[in-house]
Amino acid sequence: MIGGLVAPTAGAVEIDGRAVAGVPPNAGYVFQKDTVLPWRTVARNIALGLEYRGVTGAAQERRVREGVRLAGLEGFEDAYPATLSGGMRQRVALMRTLVVEPEILLMDEPFGALDTHTKIGLHAELLTLWEAKHQTVVFVTHDLSEAITLADRIVVMTRRPGRVKLIYDVALPRPRDVIKLRESEEYAREYGQIWHVLGEEFAGAGA
Amino acid sequence: MKGRGAIIAWRLVILVALLGSWEWLTGIKEVSRTPGLYWIDPFFVSRPSEILRRFVFLAGGEVRLTIWQMALSTIQSTLWGFVVGVSSGFAAGLLLGRNDRLARILEPYIIAFNSLPRIALVPLITMIFGFGLLAKIVLAWTIVFFIVFFNTFQGARSVDADLINAARFLGASERQIVRTVVVPSALAWTFASLTPSISFALIGVVVGEFLGGESGGGLGYLIIQSLGTLNAADMMVALLSLGVIGIVMALGIKQVEMRLLRWRPEYRERA
Repeated sequence: MIGGLVAPTAGAVEIDGRAVAGVPPNAGYVFQKDTVLPWRTVARNIALGLEYRGVTGAAQERRVREGVRLAGLEGFEDAYPATLSGGMRQRVALMRTLVVEPEILLMDEPFGALDTHTKIGLHAELLTLWEAKHQTVVFVTHDLSEAITLADRIVVMTRRPGRVKLIYDVALPRPRDVIKLRESEEYAREYGQIWHVLGEEFAGAGA
Repeated sequence: MKGRGAIIAWRLVILVALLGSWEWLTGIKEVSRTPGLYWIDPFFVSRPSEILRRFVFLAGGEVRLTIWQMALSTIQSTLWGFVVGVSSGFAAGLLLGRNDRLARILEPYIIAFNSLPRIALVPLITMIFGFGLLAKIVLAWTIVFFIVFFNTFQGARSVDADLINAARFLGASERQIVRTVVVPSALAWTFASLTPSISFALIGVVVGEFLGGESGGGLGYLIIQSLGTLNAADMMVALLSLGVIGIVMALGIKQVEMRLLRWRPEYRERA
């Protein structure tokens, strides 16, 4: 709905006081599914958004190079996505969205299909990138650890029909270290609190 | 590679065995029955040595129309029919593939025209376009167009909606979406139709040449002329030439395909 792909059945979605009609120009979307264009190389995929916005020549090249560097994909610029791992492809997708510098970043379970190891690496990268720009990020996930690691505020949704169950502010200091964070007592406390609420929701599933 | 060498060797063995037995079986007289007859009558199937002799003769300068001129004429018509058919089929497939309403309106007409045997159109096309190059191009086009059209249509319809949404979020206009997402995605489907297309273009052209007479002067004309003179050797020359032309054209398309679809893993491995 925020992305303008689906219209709300009731109520309205507003960004900075303006109603959303169609895809908002200042939003970037990272999909759950792999949406990297398979017929374009890594560099050309990252350049895609710039190309659409008419950024060409040296300016495009500079930002693509920067994107490739931030994604940690140096040496893979001319590789086709079919030759990359899932984690690398998702880094391309993330970077492709970030090089156009969206003010709002919508992420729909972007790391859902990845293994824990890769996922934590990408969490760290996402946090680092966020520290630089402080964009608004709306991140959908089923992974509570992921939510606590990344978020300032967690919105817990109920099962269908998907109403808001809880809005919870995460009281963990930034910048966060994705590894050390998970060992801390504060993390365990936050986890426990939300887990309790989720537990209620799970318990209701059988009824 | 060792396995590759063995395969080529086997192919050569088969070729030699085939030509050898052809030459041999058409050479031995069948004495037990009517004298003068052969085991396999070279009158109908000719013999490799005779075919070669006729080929050299037809390739020489003493004939009015050399085999080269005829082959060139056939290749020219085929390529024209192919190019016109592929480009129009691709454009139409893309247009209707992205426009559901138009596709539904035109559906019965497309199906009706496509189920018409194209050979039945030959006399009509001849009546309208005469015996020359144009008639042959039109005939090849009527076949190639539909092959490419249906494939591209499918391709354009099966473009991953998420890829289109992703492009939209990156700021793509509708035109940019078509250029960067729909066309490359549909191309993979279109390419699958190109190899059959060139074969069918060749069929269309040869049928056109059957009727076209000397003015077109392609290999199809040589076949019909040979039928008139009951000359199996010339007919075989024409058939073998058509076979070679068909193979070379199909290989050429494979090359282009491998280059344009090199992003697909299955092409990279073969390349």
